[in-house]
Amino acid sequence: MMAFYFSRLVEIYPFFLKGLWMTSKIAFISLITCTLLGFVLGIFRSGKNPILKWIIGVYVSFVRGTPFVVQIFIIFFILPDWGIQLEAFPAALLAMAIMGSAFICEIVAGGINSISKGQWEAAASSGLSLIQQLRLVIIPQAMKVILPPLVGQYVLLIKDTSVVSVIGVMELTRVGWVTVVRIPEGLMVFSLVGILYFSISYPLILLSNYLERKMAL
Amino acid sequence: MSRKKLVSIILALAMTVFFTGISFAGTLSEIVKRGELRVAVQSGAAPYAFVDKHGEHAGSMIDFTKGMADAMGVKIKVLDFDWDGLIPALLSGKADVLAADMTPTLKRALKITFADPWMSVQTCVFTKTGAGYQTLEDVNKPEVTVGVLLGSTGETIAKQYLPKAKIKSYKGGGRMIIQALLAGHVDAGVNDDLAVLTALPDFPPNSIRLLDKRLGGKAPLSFAVNHESVNLWQWINLYFNTIRSNGDYNKNIAYWMEGIEWKKDH
Amino acid sequence: MLTDFNFRIIMEYLPLFLTGLKSTFLISIVSLLLALATGIIACAGRISSFKYLKYPAIAYIEVIRSTPLLVQIYFLYFGLPTLGLRIPEIQTGILALMLNSGAYIAEIIRAGISSVDEGQLEAGVSSGLNYFQRMRFIILPQALGVTVPPLLGQAIVLVKDSSLLSLISVMELTRCGQTMTSERFMPSEAFFTVAFFYMCIYFVLKALADWSQKKLIFREAY
Repeated sequence: MMAFYFSRLVEIYPFFLKGLWMTSKIAFISLITCTLLGFVLGIFRSGKNPILKWIIGVYVSFVRGTPFVVQIFIIFFILPDWGIQLEAFPAALLAMAIMGSAFICEIVAGGINSISKGQWEAAASSGLSLIQQLRLVIIPQAMKVILPPLVGQYVLLIKDTSVVSVIGVMELTRVGWVTVVRIPEGLMVFSLVGILYFSISYPLILLSNYLERKMAL
Repeated sequence: MSRKKLVSIILALAMTVFFTGISFAGTLSEIVKRGELRVAVQSGAAPYAFVDKHGEHAGSMIDFTKGMADAMGVKIKVLDFDWDGLIPALLSGKADVLAADMTPTLKRALKITFADPWMSVQTCVFTKTGAGYQTLEDVNKPEVTVGVLLGSTGETIAKQYLPKAKIKSYKGGGRMIIQALLAGHVDAGVNDDLAVLTALPDFPPNSIRLLDKRLGGKAPLSFAVNHESVNLWQWINLYFNTIRSNGDYNKNIAYWMEGIEWKKDH
Repeated sequence: MLTDFNFRIIMEYLPLFLTGLKSTFLISIVSLLLALATGIIACAGRISSFKYLKYPAIAYIEVIRSTPLLVQIYFLYFGLPTLGLRIPEIQTGILALMLNSGAYIAEIIRAGISSVDEGQLEAGVSSGLNYFQRMRFIILPQALGVTVPPLLGQAIVLVKDSSLLSLISVMELTRCGQTMTSERFMPSEAFFTVAFFYMCIYFVLKALADWSQKKLIFREAY
């Protein structure tokens, strides 16, 4: 019986690779959008404008206070009521972008806030504009504090792509779910899924650990 | 020309442009203009709709809707959903037509429009072979757990006919119930007999049996569209009449429902 | 959209949502306590020098951290029956949450312990305290201050993670939203209500975390 299922699993292996590819696509695009959006939000969050800080704070609280799966259902099934019609893949990307950017915003804001006022003053008195201050002085130094948790967040984002399976996106977890009903060998199917996720997460975890050690110096 | 007349002409022109510009997503003309028919099907529900070993969508529903798309001269786009996601998908405009083994209930019909039935089934109770349940009374007990599909008529019917039993709803598709049954999470399952019978070949032979007594009467299965898509609704009815008289309907049912030949290709 | 928002229906389903809320609450507490125990054991293994404890602990922690929780849940839910184990969904879900959070808690505790200054350890050794006494009187009390805030953070994560149990038919808060949507076809009312309840839990836990942070910093000043 085991051998029979194993051979069927081998036969269906390309399907798993397709799922892994879809997961990678979602992860890659999301990492970029979340980082860009997260940095912008984080800069404003640590800035001077109190209204903006408050609005971003509310947004971050909502994202951090609700489960990702609930956010996905809201984006997929409720946004159409407001005229925004999205298919599964774009909806997944949007959900990831919203969720990831909130977490990265806090990481970036934390990093920027950790830079002493003296640095800001020195940069300002050197005649640099606000944008130049950020770009040339503050952010490069903040990166030491930002980078390790940022890479850690990337690992979390890759794992969170598994949740988008609930709106039907055929990524790796969904492939496993759809397969296990036709090849009812749960251990084999999801061990395979786990191994494939491990192969893309673990290198990033090692990178995160390495960065943590390096930045602690 | 007086100012009043000018304004009314402009208004009239604007309104004609405005109204011809409006097209509701999912109407026949919209679909033809778009060049694509978007179909919502259930995921992983062989032989109705599933992804086959080549990674392509296949199944009875796919073949019917592919025929529709071909007749319209458009491409087909298949979107999968869990059972309880099908109606929200149609309502939110993600799909033009819902193609599944769905029973037209009065409650559902408040929100969506059903076409004429393409098939009839009956709701059955199924258990593990040798489990010893023979009659409905055996199952209708507080210590019995019955698995149903979230959002299905089986869920409603089970609550109606087996009020004493514990009802557990599964998200996904009918196979989830069979899976749960074999894993021992539930003692019995309730679903359409056709759905259960066509799913049996995927599981170890002789592991499931259906109780003789069916619940309720004959239940029709129909495709559905949005309320606004009146023309599409009528077109689908005409489509099924056409394929019944030209033999395509019988070919589809014979291939997918009545045998397991399709397993070789899919 | 808000004009169409049907509060009457929400009131009608309120008992269901409260049942789900209670269920989420219970599942979270049980899982958290079990995860704490798991984390302590795993951490003990992780920092031990005995290689038959250390390497399995490392393997467990790294596997959990590299794979998504949903995959772990499905692995147990679909996999355990093939081993002949018939475990009800709730227990399977709690097991998954326990194993998952346990690994993260192990790392949190490990970070807490290693944050205690080396000098403290040396002072303990030279005072003649044995391993357990050093742990009890020197390391753990100080590690606590560093550990409790991230632990509460992990508690918040756990509550949100419990929402995934809805996908294996566990009756908790998110499942209530799915049920209401499938019966009434009103995803807005259903999921905004669900989100609202989760936000309530979040703000309570966050207040607890902030309060504990203040209290513990105060303690460290001694």
